[in-house]
Amino acid sequence: MIEKGKISALQMAMLTNPTILATAILSAPAITAKLAEHDMWLSPVWASLAGIAAVYLAWGLNKLYPAESIIDISVRIAGRAAGKLLGFVYLFFYLHVNGIIVREYGEFVVGSFLTKTPLGIVIASIVAVSAFAVYGGVEVLGRCAQIMVPVVVLLFIVIIILLFPDLNPENMLPFMEKGIKSSFMGALVPQGWFSEYFVMTFLLPLVADRAKAPKWGVISAMSVMFILVIGNITTLMLFGDITGTLTYPVLIAARYISLADFFEHVESIVMAIWVTGMFIKISVFYYILALGTAQWLKLSDFRPLVLPLGLCLASFGVWAAPNSEKLLHDLGTTIPFYLSAVQVVIPLLLLLIALLKQKLRRQNGG
Amino acid sequence: MKWGSVLGIVFVVMFMVMFQWPKMNETREKVAFAVLTAVGFVLAVLLLVNPEMPGPTQLIDAVFKPLGELLEK
Repeated sequence: MIEKGKISALQMAMLTNPTILATAILSAPAITAKLAEHDMWLSPVWASLAGIAAVYLAWGLNKLYPAESIIDISVRIAGRAAGKLLGFVYLFFYLHVNGIIVREYGEFVVGSFLTKTPLGIVIASIVAVSAFAVYGGVEVLGRCAQIMVPVVVLLFIVIIILLFPDLNPENMLPFMEKGIKSSFMGALVPQGWFSEYFVMTFLLPLVADRAKAPKWGVISAMSVMFILVIGNITTLMLFGDITGTLTYPVLIAARYISLADFFEHVESIVMAIWVTGMFIKISVFYYILALGTAQWLKLSDFRPLVLPLGLCLASFGVWAAPNSEKLLHDLGTTIPFYLSAVQVVIPLLLLLIALLKQKLRRQNGG
Repeated sequence: MKWGSVLGIVFVVMFMVMFQWPKMNETREKVAFAVLTAVGFVLAVLLLVNPEMPGPTQLIDAVFKPLGELLEK
């Protein structure tokens, strides 16, 4: 084993929660509102099915090969040449997707807060911070998540409560105006984010209490779904029909908060939530990239790869999109399908092949 | 301005080598480190010169375009 540390199933759930939620919470309301309109709060419920599918796919593959991640599993199932190629596809995928995530972080921070800082500096600094965490290994990441995630969720709930006086429940009507289809269409983008639960394939071999892992995986996906539903309902009640035209509705919503004329500028809390969540998200992807590369190259340690991969990651962040409009457009159209194709469709095929092989072997043997 | 940024990248790479190189014993690790650092460095400099360089995102865009059009609005 390359990673000697162990995490608990609860820590795994806490690591994967912001891995999905961090990017979703800011842009989800706007993107789902465009397609689902008044039924946007229903979309995360359908989307979470992809998350649960990804959890069970990772778990199903892990049950067949308990000590290995998708990098080694694909070699076992598809043979050496095809398996190594598939492993490379996964590594490139995680490098590319993490580049996109880093870019989203950069665009948000530069666009909303640090307007005069060059994008490259913002990207390089978050990659550097994540590199320190990744260098510490999975136990450090697990403990980071355990400390930060409860605070992030609490702050989010505080923001929602502070918005209560401004909410207008009538904005939610008419319910199911165009039937159930529009809420399904709205779920197509979030399902891509939920498919990121497949990162569990790298974490499951490191979980100490394995029996609890699928349960916590599903709880984690459910909690993300629940928070997204709350976020969508709140922004819908606050903004109504214009939700789809905003870029970061939750941020604008926080700017709304004003209690007794002195409790204002709460958007800094949203900034804190986002930066903390993104730190964990980027670190998790960065970690599985370093670990996966070490597994692919059959090295004895992943640490020598952390810094060079960080340099590649920062470059991919700049490379991911020419500008923020193109980035947001891609995130709302092609990238969700890219995410679920690699993280749900390919693992499903692998799992089917593996089960078929097992059955044939049993028939021949018996 | 651009040369300053290149100098910055060179500085980062120097720091990385100074930090990591003495800690590595195996040749495989050293080769992997050197190759990945070189790839990252070349990519970073190329992107500095031409930030609009077409990349993997354009490839993904082309592949998933028919599905993406479902969500176009």
